[in-house]
Amino acid sequence: MLENRVRTDGQPWMLVETDELADGRAALDRFLRGVERRALRMAELTTGQRDEALDLVQDAMLAFVRNYADKPAAEWPPLFHRVLDSRMTDWHRRQQVRGRWISAWFTRRDDDEAGDPLADAPDLREPGPLARLLDADAGAALQAALVQLPLRQRQAFLLRVWEGLDVAQTASAMRCGEGSVKTHLWRALNALRRALEEHQ
Amino acid sequence: MNTRDTTRDHAPPEWTATARQLLDDSTDALDGATRSQLNRARQRALAEHARPTRRWWLPAGAATAASLLFALMLINPLSPPATIPATPELASGNGDDTELIVADDNLELAQDLEFYAWLDAEDEHNG
Repeated sequence: MLENRVRTDGQPWMLVETDELADGRAALDRFLRGVERRALRMAELTTGQRDEALDLVQDAMLAFVRNYADKPAAEWPPLFHRVLDSRMTDWHRRQQVRGRWISAWFTRRDDDEAGDPLADAPDLREPGPLARLLDADAGAALQAALVQLPLRQRQAFLLRVWEGLDVAQTASAMRCGEGSVKTHLWRALNALRRALEEHQ
Repeated sequence: MNTRDTTRDHAPPEWTATARQLLDDSTDALDGATRSQLNRARQRALAEHARPTRRWWLPAGAATAASLLFALMLINPLSPPATIPATPELASGNGDDTELIVADDNLELAQDLEFYAWLDAEDEHNG
């Protein structure tokens, strides 16, 4: 649907506009296609239900496109995960309120209740618990360990380790300081190591 | 200390590479139905991008601005400013007084009042 209006450089105005829009749409499509599966798995680790996770990812995609599509593509990863993290945090809070009276006896260990991280510090030179789990169902063990993590620790681990964001980008995505990211990540690594070692 | 060293200081331990591989494998294992749902979700989001920005407020804003302008014109119409009242003497008097003041010959009269006083006296004396 082109009009006959012509720009000063001689090109049809609507044709140029449509090309720019198509380029932006293609770039967005590539980005979302690349991130959507990991986003679904992250949401699924939070909700424990695929349908809920799909809803969260769809909401995050819509909000991301509405609010951040015009930002430079280099800024998209932390911005998308900021939106998704916000959706997951909201979902988590709603579930906490809903289940407060029902599951008052069941409490997941909070970040603040974690022990002394230095006392629990792992030996980073050690090959790691997953190396001994590869023959077993290492994926299932890792998933079980991730599900047990508090939300913020899990997000710090997934964004930093899996998604590959640096500390600053992870802090932006989680809307917290870089120091908090390091603390969450440190605790997540310790907790995962303990859980995976117990799994053996 | 350069950036690379700083990054290495905060880099996750090596065993997390295995965790990353396991997580990647879990996404590859997603079933077709889930992939299809993800594709539909992405297409819906992209359709949002293709949709032009709805500037619903433009017609309403234009109508409001036009109404406001019309109301201002009714209250304070674009008319010439109120006339300044003329000096009472000039306004109430006739035009002759003005002519008497500004005429050149009257200025000469004012400069030779003694002559005309003598002339008047002569007229009375003769007449």
